[in-house]
Amino acid sequence: MDCPIKTQGNTDWLLDYAAGRLRDERNGLLARHMKTCGDCAGFVRAQQAVWNALDQWDPEAVSMDFDRRLYRSIEEARPSSGLPRMLRRLFRPLQPLWRPVVPLAAACLLIVAGVMLHTPQAVIAPADGTARMEKIEPEQVERTLDDMQMLRELAVTPEQGGNPSKSM
Amino acid sequence: MQQRVKELMGASAALDCDAELMLRVKDGDGASFALLLGKYRASVNHFLYRMVQDQAIAEELAQEVFLRVYRSRETYEPTAKFTTWLYRIATHLALNWLRDQKHERSQQRLDETSECAPVREVQDRAPSVEQKLLHQVNVDEVREAVAALPDKQRAAVLMHKYDEMEYSQIAKVLSCSESAVKSLLFRAYETLRVRLAHMA
Repeated sequence: MDCPIKTQGNTDWLLDYAAGRLRDERNGLLARHMKTCGDCAGFVRAQQAVWNALDQWDPEAVSMDFDRRLYRSIEEARPSSGLPRMLRRLFRPLQPLWRPVVPLAAACLLIVAGVMLHTPQAVIAPADGTARMEKIEPEQVERTLDDMQMLRELAVTPEQGGNPSKSM
Repeated sequence: MQQRVKELMGASAALDCDAELMLRVKDGDGASFALLLGKYRASVNHFLYRMVQDQAIAEELAQEVFLRVYRSRETYEPTAKFTTWLYRIATHLALNWLRDQKHERSQQRLDETSECAPVREVQDRAPSVEQKLLHQVNVDEVREAVAALPDKQRAAVLMHKYDEMEYSQIAKVLSCSESAVKSLLFRAYETLRVRLAHMA
């Protein structure tokens, strides 16, 4: 195999070998190579020393109340009322269904609003009954007045002594 | 749910059981979050501690990591390994904190003399604990050597050494190529070999 140090290729093999993580045939290849290559053998020895030195650095233990603090932060971040959360949980299975429906419904509403604005008579037009009343009322009043006038005339004519059927 | 994870991760990728747990968290299963917390609480804390070298700060950052994981549950998609996502959050927070600290320190240096610089004091101990003292000195040297590494190199070394991550995964966490990670690691270990040569 080519020397990893001289070729500057596969240098990760040296790191992995020193860490005991080089697997398969590559491990054997490098082990054989190092028997004849002092540079690579020296590199691996120095790297193993670094590896061992790093092993000495133990981290400190995590605080006992780590989880409690975390859950408190989670609780504080939640909305105060329990009802919306309950509703969200209730409707969560339906989310994939209603999510596309919302923009669709909004678009439909916009179209309907647009159509209604362009046809104002449809909005302003009153109910049929009211319209008929408004049309009929003056005619009825006029007819009633005519009838009253006629009755008045009929009532006056006999007093004058004439035959009502003749005057008509 | 397994089918969904498989679809998202592709046929070639192995099923990540952590991703499956996270999908359960997404569905409102608090117990799955507790499982993930139990599994990664220590490793995330240790990674952050070695990055920032301050236990209290590391715990604060770790709290933020898990809080972000919980908050992001509804938008979570298992497009990568769960640990890649988790360490990406942790690394991002640590690098940001280190950057802010450097800025603060550079501001402080304008006012302070070198006498005010923090000095690590070794506690006086009885001769019977000589070995412990020697160990502590060694650990301090390791800490200082790691702390002296550039931030990205440090993150790469910590993930490679202590979390036994593959190069490809470190690359995803650091958002760079695998060859860039190998180069980062090679240079970082080269620095450490020089600084810690006397410990061999």
